[in-house]
Amino acid sequence: MFTLKGNRLPAADVKNIIFFVRPRLELMDIIAENVLSEDRRGPTRDFHILFVPRRSLLCEQRLKDLGVLGSFIHREEYSLDLIPFDGDLLSMESEGAFKECYLEGDQTSLYHAAKGLMTLQALYGTIPQIFGKGECARQVANMMIRMKREFTGSQNLIFPVFDNLLLLDRNVDLLTPLATQLTYEGLIDEIYGIQNSYVKLPPEKFAPKKQGDGGKDLPTEAKKLQLNSAEELYAEIRDKNFNAVGSVLSKKAKIISAAFEERHNAKTVGEIKQFVSQLPHMQAARGSLANHTSIAELIKDVTTSEDFFDKLTVEQEFMSGIDTDKVNNYIEDCIAQKHSLIKVLRLVCLQSVCNSGLKQKVLDYYKREILQTYGYEHILTLHNLEKAGLLKPQTGGRNNYPTIRKTLRLWMDDVNEQNPTDISYVYSGYAPLSVRLAQLLSRPGWRSIEEVLRILPGPHFEERQPLPTGLQKKRQPGENRVTLIFFLGGVTFAEIAALRFLSQLEDGGTEYVIATTKLMNGTSWIEALMEKPF
Amino acid sequence: MDCYTANWNPLGDSAFYRKYELYSMDWDLKEELRDCLVAAAPYGGPIALLRNPWRKEKAASVRPVLDIYSASGMPLASLLWKSGPVVSLGWSAEEELLCVQEDGAVLVYGLHGDFRRHFSMGNEVLQNRVLDARIFHTEFGSGVAILTGAHRFTLSANVGDLKLRRMPEVPGLQSAPSCWTTLCQDRVAHILLAVGPDLYLLDHAACSSVTPPGLAPGVSSFLQMAVSFTYRHLALFTDTGYIWMGTASLKEKLCEFNCNIRAPPKQMVCTHEFLHEVPAASEEIFKIASMAPGALLLEAQKEYEKESQKADEYLREIQELGQLTQAVQQCIEAAGHEHQPDMQKSLLRAASFGKCFLDRFPPDSFVHMCQDLRVLNAVRDYHIGIPLTYSQYKQLTIQVLLDRLVLRRLYPLAIQICEYLRLPEVQGVSRILAHWACYKVQQKDVSDEDVARAINQKLGDTPGVSYSDIAARAYGCGRTELAIKLLEYEPRSGEQVPLLLKMKRSKLALSKAIESGDTDLVFTVLLHLKNELNRGDFFMTLRNQPMALSLYRQFCKHQELETLKDLYNQDDNHQELGSFHIRASYAAEERIEGRVAALQTAADAFYKAKNEFAAKATEDQMRLLRLQRRLEDELGGEFLDLSLHDTVTTLILGGHNKRAEQLARDFRIPDKRLWWLKLTALADLEDWEELEKFSKSKKSPIGYLPFVEICMKQHNKYEAKKYASRVGPEQKVKALLLVGDVAQAADVAIEHRSEAELSLVLSHCTGATDGATADKIQRARAQAQKK
Repeated sequence: MFTLKGNRLPAADVKNIIFFVRPRLELMDIIAENVLSEDRRGPTRDFHILFVPRRSLLCEQRLKDLGVLGSFIHREEYSLDLIPFDGDLLSMESEGAFKECYLEGDQTSLYHAAKGLMTLQALYGTIPQIFGKGECARQVANMMIRMKREFTGSQNLIFPVFDNLLLLDRNVDLLTPLATQLTYEGLIDEIYGIQNSYVKLPPEKFAPKKQGDGGKDLPTEAKKLQLNSAEELYAEIRDKNFNAVGSVLSKKAKIISAAFEERHNAKTVGEIKQFVSQLPHMQAARGSLANHTSIAELIKDVTTSEDFFDKLTVEQEFMSGIDTDKVNNYIEDCIAQKHSLIKVLRLVCLQSVCNSGLKQKVLDYYKREILQTYGYEHILTLHNLEKAGLLKPQTGGRNNYPTIRKTLRLWMDDVNEQNPTDISYVYSGYAPLSVRLAQLLSRPGWRSIEEVLRILPGPHFEERQPLPTGLQKKRQPGENRVTLIFFLGGVTFAEIAALRFLSQLEDGGTEYVIATTKLMNGTSWIEALMEKPF
Repeated sequence: MDCYTANWNPLGDSAFYRKYELYSMDWDLKEELRDCLVAAAPYGGPIALLRNPWRKEKAASVRPVLDIYSASGMPLASLLWKSGPVVSLGWSAEEELLCVQEDGAVLVYGLHGDFRRHFSMGNEVLQNRVLDARIFHTEFGSGVAILTGAHRFTLSANVGDLKLRRMPEVPGLQSAPSCWTTLCQDRVAHILLAVGPDLYLLDHAACSSVTPPGLAPGVSSFLQMAVSFTYRHLALFTDTGYIWMGTASLKEKLCEFNCNIRAPPKQMVCTHEFLHEVPAASEEIFKIASMAPGALLLEAQKEYEKESQKADEYLREIQELGQLTQAVQQCIEAAGHEHQPDMQKSLLRAASFGKCFLDRFPPDSFVHMCQDLRVLNAVRDYHIGIPLTYSQYKQLTIQVLLDRLVLRRLYPLAIQICEYLRLPEVQGVSRILAHWACYKVQQKDVSDEDVARAINQKLGDTPGVSYSDIAARAYGCGRTELAIKLLEYEPRSGEQVPLLLKMKRSKLALSKAIESGDTDLVFTVLLHLKNELNRGDFFMTLRNQPMALSLYRQFCKHQELETLKDLYNQDDNHQELGSFHIRASYAAEERIEGRVAALQTAADAFYKAKNEFAAKATEDQMRLLRLQRRLEDELGGEFLDLSLHDTVTTLILGGHNKRAEQLARDFRIPDKRLWWLKLTALADLEDWEELEKFSKSKKSPIGYLPFVEICMKQHNKYEAKKYASRVGPEQKVKALLLVGDVAQAADVAIEHRSEAELSLVLSHCTGATDGATADKIQRARAQAQKK
């Protein structure tokens, strides 16, 4: 298995070569290059191509134009729409989905989302109720209803696992991903970027501590770690506010060293055997603890820096509605000091969203500052952000954000980071709008927030998919409902954490399974919207 | 039932054959069968009769007549034969009638005499005429073998996928072989032929001479040969009246006998009698004085009905041998082989009786047999006329049987069977309804509306019905409007679209594709439309379909940039046009003039879009570009494509302060940012003198803390201290701490009476040197608390 690269294929003594690719035109060019150089090299090989998740006419056309279509013995599709990332998390990992849907009017990923949902329903039963908010959500629901009609007769009758499906457009809540996530996992993602559940970390902190080493052989290659709930400790701390992680880690450290001390108490052969049998587990736990202690140290270096504090202060001011309508000093200074453009854009967009758009003067000022400092080519990026609604002039002179904030209780002053009582702990005060919508849907229902729903973009709707009488659930008292929540356009780890928090609430009544087009954060999101013409 | 075995005839020592009449044929035959060409399809299929095939007269009244009957003799079709002379008739596995003409053309007819298609067996056959022909069946389908006038063989093993194979020449063959047949071995069709006393086997490559083992001497000619349905066994009939039977591979002899008839049999067709080997289970049960468990069970049940205690005796006997399970199984199996419902019933009753004495006899076989027999009895009915045996039925499968009922247009019976067997709708009722609908659309005397309505009424949303298949059939009959109406009912757009495209309803196809949300399908239609329409019409079509338009734009972005521009132009989308030209200025142009020109176009577009900001910014960019070019010319170094900010910084770093100032003024860089910029640049240069001069040029708009910070960053504490004293009171503590003056920081904090500042200073108190300061702070805190 090799990664797709231009020019010649890596040498290997094989007859068959299979390309697994996303149906993207630029990838076809690379494949054509591979095939052509291979053909020149001599003994012919058999080529096959598998498109993930679907075959595309355009791609095949491109291969044909490049004169290599005939070289493929098989052209098939591998309909992998939703990839499981964790017990409660599925993602399509489609980077371009947000841009395609909201900027380019290309609904391909929505179609794939609908297909993925149909597959899920084929496996886990028809979902009796569909709720949604947003233009794309509406589209996906329409496609699902249509596809259901297409599949009639071939459905197998399965007792439904999910009670509800909630489809949410990312552009209903543009705010949340812009803010810095403050959960443990969210911060790892913000600072180092989690890619396909792996993170690459600077290696220094992970160097094995050997005596007399003098630190001369520090590893230079990044430390790669897998992050998911299979790791006991990570499952426990990933969704906690970072400020609550330290105490857990030190508690764990005590427990583990106590467990190792047990060996002195093991006297009989039986006791020793018992101890030894637990050793692998204990050693794994100790390794895991060491890793996360190192990661926490790395993160702490960042979060205790003055600049991080200043940035967070500004974000929190915006989200709580303070001084959102004038040019912000901190942002100005960031630009003047040429901080990373993405950081600046995130802040400016956050301010715009928290003010229902900026005054024209303020907006133009920011834009001009950005163009002069970072280069005029970024005018294309700015246009993209404006098209996506992330950056916009305030129209009608009305700022709706305070109404939304108050009705949905987006800002909580009395947040408890250690033992949270509300989802707002994931951003140390700000409760993610998207998750609040989900929470209010399950209790007391969206009817209570009709007014706010009307302010937010796109239609909100409810569809029922009738079940045959035999499959209707009779709920036991105290049994939780299961809601599948699908974020069209991406979801952040902090939002996932908030949903998991709701799932675990004793009187919550709803468990969530999360699906999305892409696991993302503000940085990767803005990056996908940026355009670099050279 | 006194003598059940009366129609049994022994064959050898161990087997019996039996024969009974299935139907008394209802046909009204005027000619003798021997004057007709006859073909009966296997598996209880139809019978075709071509009357007067050999008359050569031209008079219309004596033209050959083709009649088709069901196996029970019910007429299905009758038509006057108007084509050329027919040599041979035969039925394909799909129950299509293949009529091989003398000229090598094969005409294919349906069960109802409807002409389907024709194909030719090749030029060689056409030239030399057909002498003889056989229709044969293989596992791939039905084939045709031809013997031509030139004594060569041509065959096609599957008429569904016609591939003609001319067989090799038989050496020295001057006249027609005395007899021949097709064999199928190892999935390849061969021809076995007899020329006088010699047998030859033809495969596609060679002709080889073969000899049957153990053939009696004295044979001078083979007159007839017959091969079993499975191609496993072969029988040869010689001019001595001797019959040899063996395996078709000619490797083993099974038996031989002499029938003392020397004249060759002419043509044997068995239509209304049924001759077959008595199946083992039946034999076991019904053989005279049989003591097989099945036989005993049947007896037991009969006695039980007579309320005789013998029933118990029989039963005990079976049970003592531990053969009750076997007995029940035998009875069930034997029932399957019976044609008379009475006999079936009595055997099943016996099985059911025996079952009562068994603890755990799985009910499936009994239930299934009852179901199968009901189905079989139904199709064997005289009116239906499909006399299948149980084994044939099992081989054929229920699906094929249903297909055959559909072929005979017996839709209601087919549906009843589906419902009775509870077949899943998709495989059962829906499929049959769909066939019915396909038949319905061919009724040309009914209006489009009525047909569409009738079909929808009956089919509704029945799962698994493919309206597009029905529509395709309607389109095939030339009823395009009906096809479109039917497609309206098709829920799967993937199916609608290709047919609509085929019917040249591309615009309708486009809206259907869009409805589906399947973007690839939309692209399919778009590329189709692009070729079909002229550019103007194509663009107009797109304009009315925003989703398609967006997708086409995506396509153009990758494939046809110029078209993208035209699309924006058409929509007066000046904003996007502006962005387009901005991109173009980077992508296409390398010369500065070209870039500036592209940017000018962009700026104009932005003006038209009323996006003054973007227009002005683009004009600024043009100005900057020209200036950068001039700077490169005059000062050397690289300036092009640096941001304005970086251009000014580069100028300062290069010592061109005046130019930097000028540029900042020209582009109205705000004071604060300019100060940050200069501060950073001068610190980078470590030009401390210039920095100090700069700091004193006027009151700093950014305060003096950044000066302290930047000096400390360059590890110049000496310079940093100079600025620390100038830092405003709010940031003073921070500045003093930065330069490491903890004591003074403490003093300021105490003076400010700020708890936050005090703890900040305290957190910086490390080591022994700061001990005094720490104490001082603690005292100040205590004092503050007292108050």
